[in-house]
Amino acid sequence: MDSGRPFRFPVAHNAVSLDIKGNKTEIMICKYDDKFLVIVTQIGCMGTILHARKEESVLTDPTYSVSIIFGKRDEPWLLACGRQLIEHISCAGSSMHLVLSLGLKDHSPETLKDVTLAVIENRLW
Amino acid sequence: MVNYEIAEVCGLHKIQNASHTKAKPPPLVDLISKILENQAVDGDVQITCFTEDLHDVTLHFQIIRLAKQIFVWIGCNTAKFGHLYAAAITRPNDQVAVTSILGGTSDNTGSGIARRLVLKTRLNIIVACNIPKDSPMLEATAERKLAEKLRSLGYVRPKPGGKSPDQAGF
Repeated sequence: MDSGRPFRFPVAHNAVSLDIKGNKTEIMICKYDDKFLVIVTQIGCMGTILHARKEESVLTDPTYSVSIIFGKRDEPWLLACGRQLIEHISCAGSSMHLVLSLGLKDHSPETLKDVTLAVIENRLW
Repeated sequence: MVNYEIAEVCGLHKIQNASHTKAKPPPLVDLISKILENQAVDGDVQITCFTEDLHDVTLHFQIIRLAKQIFVWIGCNTAKFGHLYAAAITRPNDQVAVTSILGGTSDNTGSGIARRLVLKTRLNIIVACNIPKDSPMLEATAERKLAEKLRSLGYVRPKPGGKSPDQAGF
């Protein structure tokens, strides 16, 4: 090992704290070799966890698959947020999957819109 | 003498840079521990990343502490995300429940680590782990290092009306 070379932890991350509709929101974005992990929390835990991926086809435009893998399965705006983010990742040129955790106090479209914008602003893709 | 620098991390929060000199570890224990950064975003969230070099394997650990839950990632040589598990103590009998969230349905490596971490620490834990299956020594080493770190960071909860983490053989 070259002892003079600085060691860089292999997972890059961004973390930010902001206010969304009066609720303190922590956002953490981590980049692994094969996935992005985005944690958004207002309730002190990860909450509902989604998995979003791009399915590429040679002949047609890519399609996206978003599914809730842990937590509330009846909140459509959470899926919409995941869908927005995976498409943004895809447009940035990355094919990596997204693991998105949303621990939010409210699931209104305005909140999810602000969450999506904040994640995009602090993205690692 | 081993010189190393704590690397910068991109982010909007405070960045820490430091350099340390460290005496060569005793030859019997060829284990070099590098604490890369320990950053507090604010009082509710803390992210800790560190790496352990073993003889032929490098283990990376990332601990994200939220107010009521802890996310842990364990990387073996690579930074692949691995399989994802959730574990917690459930009522009424204080049993530990583990579930696979992403991948890993035929592989118990991460679920075993998650379960034993909750047993030792009584925390609500989400674990992502890419340790290959059928590596019990590696699994045990990773679990031990992680549990030590969680205790040193003060995240471990004492058992109700029972032993402290020190007395519990942890």
